[in-house]
Amino acid sequence: MRKKIIIAASVILFSFSAKAQGILGGHVTGNVQLDGQISSRDSVIGSTDVPQKLLSNARADILYTNGDFSAGLRYEGYLGPMLGFNSQYAGQGIANYFVSYKTQTLAITAGHFYEQFGNGMTLRAYEDRYLGIDNAIRGINVMYRPVRGVTLKGLIGQQRYYWETRGLVRGVDAELSVNDIVNALAEAKTRITIGGSFVSKYEDDETILSDIDGYKLNLPLNVGCGSVRMDISHGGFGLQTEYARKGQDPSIMNNYIYKNGEALWVSASYSQKGMSANIQAKRVDNMGFKSVRSESGEMLYINYTPAITKQHTYAFLSMYPYATQSTGEIGLQGDFMYKFKKETFLGGKYGTDLHINASLIKGLDTTRIGGIGTDGYTSTFFGTGDTYYGDMSLEIAKKLSGKVKLTATYGYVVFNPVVEGHEGDIHHNHVVIGDMTWKINKKNVLRVEAEWMGSDSKYDPAVDDKRCGDWIMGLVEYNFTSAWFISLSDQYPYKDGVGNYYNISVGYTKGASRMQIGYGKQREGIICIGGVCRNVPASNGLTFSLTTSF
Amino acid sequence: MKKFFLMIAATMLVGVAAAQNAKIPENITIKTLDGKTVETSVIKNDGKPIILSFWATWCKPCNRELNTIKEVYEEWQEETGVKLVAISIDDSKSAARVKPHVDGNEWEYEVYLDQNQDFKRAMNVVNVPHTFIINGEGEIVWQHTSFVEGGEEELIELVRKVANGEEI
Repeated sequence: MRKKIIIAASVILFSFSAKAQGILGGHVTGNVQLDGQISSRDSVIGSTDVPQKLLSNARADILYTNGDFSAGLRYEGYLGPMLGFNSQYAGQGIANYFVSYKTQTLAITAGHFYEQFGNGMTLRAYEDRYLGIDNAIRGINVMYRPVRGVTLKGLIGQQRYYWETRGLVRGVDAELSVNDIVNALAEAKTRITIGGSFVSKYEDDETILSDIDGYKLNLPLNVGCGSVRMDISHGGFGLQTEYARKGQDPSIMNNYIYKNGEALWVSASYSQKGMSANIQAKRVDNMGFKSVRSESGEMLYINYTPAITKQHTYAFLSMYPYATQSTGEIGLQGDFMYKFKKETFLGGKYGTDLHINASLIKGLDTTRIGGIGTDGYTSTFFGTGDTYYGDMSLEIAKKLSGKVKLTATYGYVVFNPVVEGHEGDIHHNHVVIGDMTWKINKKNVLRVEAEWMGSDSKYDPAVDDKRCGDWIMGLVEYNFTSAWFISLSDQYPYKDGVGNYYNISVGYTKGASRMQIGYGKQREGIICIGGVCRNVPASNGLTFSLTTSF
Repeated sequence: MKKFFLMIAATMLVGVAAAQNAKIPENITIKTLDGKTVETSVIKNDGKPIILSFWATWCKPCNRELNTIKEVYEEWQEETGVKLVAISIDDSKSAARVKPHVDGNEWEYEVYLDQNQDFKRAMNVVNVPHTFIINGEGEIVWQHTSFVEGGEEELIELVRKVANGEEI
C-alpha cells in the first residue's frame, strides 16, 4: 500500500512539472482537489465537535492518453472524512485505476470503469464526489460495433464499496440506430433508436429467517433485471421511453419480499426556437437493485431510477430535494419555456424569458399480502396512494438595461416527510425569490439575491426537522473580474423555526485552478456561489477548497 | 498490480518529449440532441478556434455564461470564425430536458450529451461551468472554471489571439 502511495505521489508531482507534456507521443493530464473543514458543535443546527479538529478529503486523478490507448489512476485520501461522508471512507490509497483501448468499433477497459445502459434503470455505475457516492465497477467492460448503427456492450465485475469491492455484476446492452441500419431511412427526418439490456447479479446464500416459525428463506442467488427502450425524434418532437423488469430480489430495501420489480419512464417534448415543452411520467415499483442484499446505505446500487422532478438551485426551493422512492412511486412532471421577443409589449427592449414547471409524485396504490418471505403486496398500475412531493414554479428573467438583469421566481412546494423516513404532517411551502445581477463595469459585478419562504410547518424538537418554519434569506456577491469573489449570506427562520445560517466566502480563480475559503454555518444542499455549483454537507466553522486541472 | 503501477510511472517518467499542448480526445462516445451516437472526433472547426464549454441545465452560472455569449455570438463568429461547442453533463435525471432547454433559450451552439460523463472525466473537468479554448490544430490552449458577467470579454480577447495564431 505504502509503495503504491509513493508511486502515486511521484506521478502526481511529476505530472505537475510536466503539465500535459508529450510523453512517448502521449499526454499526461489530471486534476487535483483538496477540501478541508474545521467544524465545531452547534446544538441548534445539529453539528457536533470533530475529534480530529481538521477533516479533509483529497483526490488526484492522473490520466495518460496516447492515441487509442489511455490509462489512469486516482489517489483518494480521507484523513478524517468530511462531514456528510461515510466514516468507512477513512483512509487513503489508490481508489481507482484502469487501462483502456478505444477505437470507433472496439473499446476495452480493464480496471475501474463507469457505465450506463439506457437511462440507467438496469445499470448505472457512476460517481458523485460531493455526495460521496462511487459505485464504479472493477472488472472488464467491452464495447463493439459490428456494423454501422449497432452498438453492443458487455461487462463483468465487482462494485466499489468504500475501499473494497463487493458483489458480482454481469450485464449486456444493445442499441440500434434504425436510420443507420435501414438505408431507405438514412436521410429521414424521423430518427429512431431502440435498445435493450439485461443485467444479472450473483450473491452467496445466507440465513434470513421468515416471520413464520423461523423458517429460513430460500434466497435467489442470481437475480436478473432487463429493460427495453426507444428514442424517437422528428424535428422539434421527441419521445423517449424505457420499461424495466426485475426478478425476485428479496433484500433489506424491500423487507425481503419476493415481488417482481417494474419501472416505466416516458418523456415527450416539443421545442422550437424560443419555445419548448416537456412532459415526463414515471412509475417505479420495487426496483431497488443492489449487489448485496443486506446493504441499506447509499452504496452498491446497480441501477438508477431517475427522479423526474426539476432540480431547483435556489436555496429555499431546493430545501426539500426529492429523490426517487425505489420501493414504489408514480409521478408526472411538466416544463414549459417561452421567450417573449424583443420590441414586443411583454418582451421590452431585450426580450423576456418565462419558465414554468410543475410536478406531482405519489405513492402506489398497494394492498398488503404479507411480510418477509411473501410477495409483500399487490399494486394497481394507475392507482395512486399518498402524495410524496409536488412543486410548481414560475420564473421570469428580464434584462432591464445593458447592465442590470433581474430574475423573479415564485414557487410552491409540497413535501411529505415520510419519503425521508420521518413521521409528520405534509409541509406546504410558498417561496418568493428576487435575483439581480448588476454589471457595474467591465471588471466589477454585483449580484444580490433575496428569498422568502412561508410554511405551514412548525419546528418540533421531537421530529427535529430544522427546515420547518418561515424563513428569509439575503445574499450579496461581489466579483472583481472573473478572478476574485466575496459573498455574504444569511438564512434566518423568523417564525416557528430554529437556526441562523450565516456564511462568508472568498474565492480566487485563475485558469482551471480555484481556491475558496468560507466561514459560517451550512446546511446540506446544492449551493451556487461565485460561478460554481456544488453539493455541500452541514457544518459549522471553516471550510476551504482547492481544485485544479492540468 | 505493483508492476502495473510501476509500468505506468515508468512510462510517464521515461522519454519526455518536447512540450506540446494536449489535444482533445477523439474516441469518446457522446450523443447528439436527436439521439445519434457519435465520437468526439466530430468536434471540428476547419482550422479555426473552438470554445468548448461543459455545462448542465441545473447550473445557473453555466446558463448565465451561455446566455451572455448568445448575445454576441454572431459578432464573434464573423470576426474570428470561432465555434462554441456546448457539452451537457446532465445525467438521466435531466438529459431529456436538454434539447427543450437549448431551443427554449434560442442557443445556436453545437450541443452534445455526455450522460455517462466520459468526456468530462477525460477532460479533467471537476465543476461546471468549465470552458476550454481549442486552437485550429485541436490543441487545448486555455481553460477556465466558473463564470461571472464580464468573463465573456476576457474569453473573446483570447479567442482573437488564437485566431491570429498568437501564443496565449
